[in-house]
Amino acid sequence: MILIRKILQSFKIIKPGDWLIIVLFCALIIISTKFLWNLPQGEYLEIYKNNEILGTYSLNQKITKIINGAKGDTTIIIDNGKVRFASAPCAKKYCIHQGWINKANQIIICIPNKISISILGAKTNYDSINY
Amino acid sequence: MTLSTINISDRDHQIAKLSAIAVALSLIEFFFPSPIPGVKPGIANIIILYTIFKFDLRMGIWVSIIRVFVTSIILGSFLSPTFFLSLSGALFSLLSLIIFKNLSPKYFSLISFSLIASLAHIVGQFVIVRLWIIPHNGIFYLLPIFILSAFIFGLVNALVTNRLLQLNPKK
Repeated sequence: MILIRKILQSFKIIKPGDWLIIVLFCALIIISTKFLWNLPQGEYLEIYKNNEILGTYSLNQKITKIINGAKGDTTIIIDNGKVRFASAPCAKKYCIHQGWINKANQIIICIPNKISISILGAKTNYDSINY
Repeated sequence: MTLSTINISDRDHQIAKLSAIAVALSLIEFFFPSPIPGVKPGIANIIILYTIFKFDLRMGIWVSIIRVFVTSIILGSFLSPTFFLSLSGALFSLLSLIIFKNLSPKYFSLISFSLIASLAHIVGQFVIVRLWIIPHNGIFYLLPIFILSAFIFGLVNALVTNRLLQLNPKK
């Protein structure tokens, strides 16, 4: 109740110019959400082993790949636009629990086994961190 | 050997007191957990806004810069990336206040100054992050969250500062 009263009190302080700034800000929030959170559907899958590219595969197929990593075999399933880790020899299985990923720039990594997958969009991918 | 004295004015005392409170608030905020790393309520900005509106912009600039330096020295993060992040946010928001200080007070209360300053703060931080700390376009993915938090906390800080100014009227 006090909170509602405080909010109503605060409305007396706000002047017309403030409303302009508030509206512009909300517009900025909406625009930034629409433009930046709209990742395009992925096209290719890159599989990394020990941080080197093992291969690039199209996402528009339905296959299962088995890759031998540092600790054992990892199974990766590509299913017409989405991909996931099906089995891995790691202890915590975080990679498997991530589930399906399908948007560009999404990644799943399995650190114990040193395997990671990254989805590329139709446009060229941005290079990663370089100091 | 002649004795040289530094004349400490009342203004200096005022700046020191306000900076001390701002530093204390920064330290409290440092230990307060935040669900998303980097999203902070920025409560020290309440003091800086208060300084700007009760006294003048120059004093606000002093308090802001002193706050950044002293907090980073106390926390041991002086000259670390965190310090530069904090400094660039502070400089950008002070710059935005200098640019917009001539907005007529009839139409723009301190709420719009707070919102402009908080937006400039996160823009400054994103500039430093994109150019130096994480030079990857993926960080812009975080921009909507930061804009939203800048909006909310800018409003909240402005309202708290308003209350403070009501309790301590300009003399």
